Amino acid sequence: MEGRPQNERELALRAQRGDARAYEELVRPHQEIAFRVAYVITRNAADAEDATQDGLVKAWRALGRFRAGEPMRPWLLQIVANEARNRRRSAGRREHLALRVLASSASSGEAAPSPEEATLDVDERARLLGALEQLSREAREVLACRYLLQLSEEETAAALDVARGTVKSRSARALERLRETYEPRD
Amino acid sequence: MNLETELRALRVDWPETPRFELALAPRRRRRRWALAVAIAVAAVAAALAVPESRGAILRFFHLGGVTIQVVDTLPHADERPLTAGLGPVISTKSAERVIHALLLPPIDPPPPLHYTPGNIVSLVFEHRGRPVLLSELPGGGGMYLKKLASGGSHVDRAAVAGADQALWISGSRHLIFFAGQSPRLAGNVLLWEANGVTYRLEGPNLSKVEAISLAESLRRG
Repeated sequence: MEGRPQNERELALRAQRGDARAYEELVRPHQEIAFRVAYVITRNAADAEDATQDGLVKAWRALGRFRAGEPMRPWLLQIVANEARNRRRSAGRREHLALRVLASSASSGEAAPSPEEATLDVDERARLLGALEQLSREAREVLACRYLLQLSEEETAAALDVARGTVKSRSARALERLRETYEPRD
Repeated sequence: MNLETELRALRVDWPETPRFELALAPRRRRRRWALAVAIAVAAVAAALAVPESRGAILRFFHLGGVTIQVVDTLPHADERPLTAGLGPVISTKSAERVIHALLLPPIDPPPPLHYTPGNIVSLVFEHRGRPVLLSELPGGGGMYLKKLASGGSHVDRAAVAGADQALWISGSRHLIFFAGQSPRLAGNVLLWEANGVTYRLEGPNLSKVEAISLAESLRRG
């Protein structure tokens, strides 16, 4: 089992001096979330993989512009998400996959379901995700970042390349739209 | 429970996060790359000085025996299988006379080797249930040409262990021209140069990480 990662600021300073190992250690905790953000944008695992790979290498090259002491995650997500958008633009006819609900958390090796999750019926969860999938791309991405990936407003703003205020207003509109389709008014 | 709580409680079946091999280029390699870019810029300037190429060829790259042109409009080409036009099967010894640093996939028995016009050794093998075409060319000759549509295709630098330089070409369709053959539409391609040989891997839906890992698994024949 790996020990607790070193202080992010210290790793960033070492990486900025050209220490590739420090950089790898610095970005390792963020690779999964970066890949998932890329997947939300490209909706294709191969494109998400390439976007993350290229984003991580571009971030290394741009590390001189990173302010050590600032959080690494939003900065990295911004670069990877930008790569993902470039991939999406050129992907054209590539296969796009919808998000699916995890059938069983026990088989996935993930932690036990939360009490909230335990109260949600599997079909109901699939219906909710299906309703989210029907939203516009803009609405779907902001909700996926804020709620499915549980990014902060700052991280979502960085990933979607918009202002924090836009994240707030876009989330509110997207939730309203989702409520209309998932919870039809009687 | 409100909608926001329900969304937070959703467990999504995310694709498995790949293991990213960063292969970060040390600073001196970056300088070498910058030099290559400077040479390419000079070459583009020279190309634009020729009146008939203006407007058609937007930019081009060279990697060993390969020329890549970015053009505004792709000419017509057919979609043909990877195995089309590979040429006659030859022995490993004959292939080694053409390519002194012949690379083969770690498969026993090795796949048939073909002698493709233009002094190219080609082989098709299966990777994760999908066909992959490996072509090996003596470096420096301008053996084949690839055309990309501007805007739709990406040419990215790649890092392959042991390679002098490598490029990853992906995105929308692009064309490949082998000597003496009509062009065909090609999929994602990894190109790299090592030991004076240019290697090319092509496969449908091949990702960059997958292609690099596959390239690094190849062994001398």
